[in-house]
Amino acid sequence: MTEKLTRYFGFLRRMNPVLMTCMAGLAVIGVAFVYSSCSVREDPAIRMLYMRHAESGIAGFILALVLAGLNYRIMMRWSWLFYLACLIALALVPFVGETKMGARRWLFGMQPSEPAKLAVIMLLAWLYGSRGALRGARAFFLTMAAAGVPVALILIQPDLGTAMVMVPTVLAMMFAANVAPRLMWTLVTAGVVAAGLMLGVIYAAEKADMPQERREALIAATRLRPHQVKRLQVFLFPDKDLHGSGYNRRQSEIAVGSGGVWGKGYLKGEQYMLGYLPPSVSSNDFIFAVLAEEAGFVGSVTVLLLFTGILWAGLWVAFRCREDMGRLFCVGVMTLTFSHMFINIAMTIGLMPITGLPLPFISYGRTFMLTMMVALGLVQSVSIHGRELETRF
Amino acid sequence: MALLALMFTAGAAFLAVSLHRVQVERFSVLSHDQLRQSVRRVQVPGPRGLIFDRNGELLAGNRASYCIAYYVEELRKRGRWQNTIDAVDADIDRLAKELGIPRVISKKAVADHVMQSLPMPLLAWRDVEQETLARWAEAVEPFPGVDIYVQPERSYPNNTLAAHVLGYVGRDRPQPLPGHKVHFYLPEMIGKGGIEGRYNKVLTGMSGGQLIRVDARGYKHAVWEGEAAVPGKDIHLTLDIKVQAALEKVLSGWRGAGVVIDPRNGEVLALASSPVYDPNDFVPVMPSGVWKRLNEDEAVPLINRAIQGWYAPGSTFKPVTAMAAFLSGKFDPAEEYVCDGAFVLGTMRLRCWNTYGHGSISLRKAIEQSCNSYFCHIAHSIGYDSIYEVARMLGLGQPSGIDLPAESGGLLPTAKWKQDRMRDLWRPGDTCQIGIGQGLLITTPLQMAVVTSVFANRGSLYRPHLARQAIAPLEREMGWPAQAVAAVREGMRDVAEVGTGRRVQVRGLSVAAKTGTAEVDTAGVRRKNTWVTAFAPFDSPTAAVAIMVENGESGGLTVAPMVREVLVSIFGEEPAAEGEGIPGARDFTADMEVRGD
Repeated sequence: MTEKLTRYFGFLRRMNPVLMTCMAGLAVIGVAFVYSSCSVREDPAIRMLYMRHAESGIAGFILALVLAGLNYRIMMRWSWLFYLACLIALALVPFVGETKMGARRWLFGMQPSEPAKLAVIMLLAWLYGSRGALRGARAFFLTMAAAGVPVALILIQPDLGTAMVMVPTVLAMMFAANVAPRLMWTLVTAGVVAAGLMLGVIYAAEKADMPQERREALIAATRLRPHQVKRLQVFLFPDKDLHGSGYNRRQSEIAVGSGGVWGKGYLKGEQYMLGYLPPSVSSNDFIFAVLAEEAGFVGSVTVLLLFTGILWAGLWVAFRCREDMGRLFCVGVMTLTFSHMFINIAMTIGLMPITGLPLPFISYGRTFMLTMMVALGLVQSVSIHGRELETRF
Repeated sequence: MALLALMFTAGAAFLAVSLHRVQVERFSVLSHDQLRQSVRRVQVPGPRGLIFDRNGELLAGNRASYCIAYYVEELRKRGRWQNTIDAVDADIDRLAKELGIPRVISKKAVADHVMQSLPMPLLAWRDVEQETLARWAEAVEPFPGVDIYVQPERSYPNNTLAAHVLGYVGRDRPQPLPGHKVHFYLPEMIGKGGIEGRYNKVLTGMSGGQLIRVDARGYKHAVWEGEAAVPGKDIHLTLDIKVQAALEKVLSGWRGAGVVIDPRNGEVLALASSPVYDPNDFVPVMPSGVWKRLNEDEAVPLINRAIQGWYAPGSTFKPVTAMAAFLSGKFDPAEEYVCDGAFVLGTMRLRCWNTYGHGSISLRKAIEQSCNSYFCHIAHSIGYDSIYEVARMLGLGQPSGIDLPAESGGLLPTAKWKQDRMRDLWRPGDTCQIGIGQGLLITTPLQMAVVTSVFANRGSLYRPHLARQAIAPLEREMGWPAQAVAAVREGMRDVAEVGTGRRVQVRGLSVAAKTGTAEVDTAGVRRKNTWVTAFAPFDSPTAAVAIMVENGESGGLTVAPMVREVLVSIFGEEPAAEGEGIPGARDFTADMEVRGD
């Protein structure tokens, strides 16, 4: 009996335990705080959201275990099919998608933009990782095309945040694969300069003494949408409009700050309970504010540590993997996870402009939960099967 | 790989440091910000102090008033504020129909309440009847968000009794609590006029506070904590409800006023003005009809004639002239004057009321007979300055300082005043007129009661007061020669026993009195303001009375019987022995010795 078990499930022993534990821990915390943030809502369906969150967490966990058992290289080989499916879904969204809160992102209850991120990572890992893969400028432009199409489709939803996390993810993978390093540096420099210029223009438009028309012309020259300009302005001048566009930022800062060291206690957060933190965002993009208010500095550092655990474990898996495809995949997934976490938390405490970006495992969102679980399941697969090569050679 | 690990770790560390800055270093600032945006302070007034008479009879108390209140947070509607306003408004109509009472607040008031004092109860009906309450309790359909709200309301159990002394209350914004920003308040009772106004601070006490938590839209979420209000202090008056009732009874039907003072200490035993009003009408809000009636009434019932009425004292002033004569040194009491029915001064001829003349007359007799010629003669011979001096010492021409608001000081003119105001010289005729309490001289009934009390206690002026005090407020000692006071007092006793004021007599009580009938000429109509001032018992007086009635027949005929009734209310129909005074009256001689007065 024991032998049989070892034969069928022995591979599980080679899973990375830290990665598994931290992921499960974050998902449990997520369920707890989705419950908390929705507990004051009147709509019973919304009060039960935590159950939906838990369901997708459990489903994702089982899926991750199954995927961990399969060889990731087979899946990578077929990743272009997954990628194509995502592209079609993304392309369908503008025509048949559902609109919620001013953005058309949903297709049959799923957000295709979430699996699309994973699809891009998988495709790039396959492209760079297979034997005799392309390098140099051609690879660079192929990457730009492969990543650019879904990002463009996501941008028109509009979903700036999701499109934005793809930039560091793709860049990190390209660096790791050593694709056209000089072009890369040029691109990064250009990107930094462009971002700096935009912020500079908006800053100057606000601060410099100039007529209103010129100010508006200057802002129009950035080609950003009005709500994006507003968010950048809120970021640069946080006290300018506390009741309008700066409201969420201000209220989430108050929520986090009033938590103090030990927090106010579970289910005792006041900012979401009294509706200062708007109920439309308290269970997803701003859930970290709810957590930080109720669990305090101790709670938020615990979450940070769990994320760091995932990141280190993921990189450890990549480090142990003796093969490019698996390693690149791990790098991609870890960069994605890090970007989500960093941007979300930084935005919650006002260090970054507000972009609707969920916190992995914790924010409510079934598609994203499933996607992240699957991604980490695949990392576990790298952990299990990536080392087989090592033993084989 | 190592580079990535480093970057991830640095990123996480950066977030940890930033979180530390927000959650640990800026904790107090941000939690204060949170309190500021979600906590509102409501000022809750404490129960108002009660007012009692000298024997502990309740004059002003508090009763429970039942209001029907809407708690808007329970009727809130999604979307625009107008939806909530409409919902509350429709519900008020529904409830009005159910209870069968007319609606009293407008939709505008509902809207104002929602926009300005959302977390407070909206009082749709105040002070509803028992019958309505019963119907509310039996209402088949439930009304969510509506409840009975009990609020203390002022009540005056004796209705019109002592109305002018007590004043009344209105409702207004309370005094802000020191050191706190108050967002909302429950209107507080504010004393207007009378004791309620004068001692408002004492009666009010300290408002308490209630901290409530409001949500992002401003609805009340929960009561957070509260500080209990400090109840106002009770006030015990020197008033005797029995004497007050007697005084008001005799005045009813007349326009006039009366004051009873204890000459030993200045305590006011009764102070009344007629006609009266009912201060209960002002609670909780005076119906506009009643307000209109009170304001347009020709008899001006809202005026307190006892302290605000302007009346020439007439002959009741003559004891003052007599006293001035003694003090002037230009007067020989032994000398007799011959009254031939008129006093001639140059071309002017002042008639005595006795047109046949009193013949040869002494001071004592002149007081008893109230001879105008005699007093004109002595006023003329001693000069106005002597009269002015004594009248001023007795507190005429200035407010007595009684603890009631808006007291009038009357008028004790001087030559300069006449020059400034009337562009005319002081003439000997003015001196004569004032010598008999007419002309430019104006007093209030309270002032004449004070003057009487000084004659009663042989020369000590106490400031009249209504709130009981530990020490009698001695204003000044006159320093009058004993035999001069005695002579005037003798004259006043004769008035009561054989003279013009015989109708004040009470069997077994020795009373001194002075009658007066001042002729006034208002817009060509001659009217008579009739007075009696009196004190009793003669040897050691415990009560000094002044009553003035507009349009009386004469002091002796109209007012003297009124004074008698008042004296009976104090001393009884047949007092057993002299010196029996007001129960509870205290002698402050010991205190005064301590003070060294």
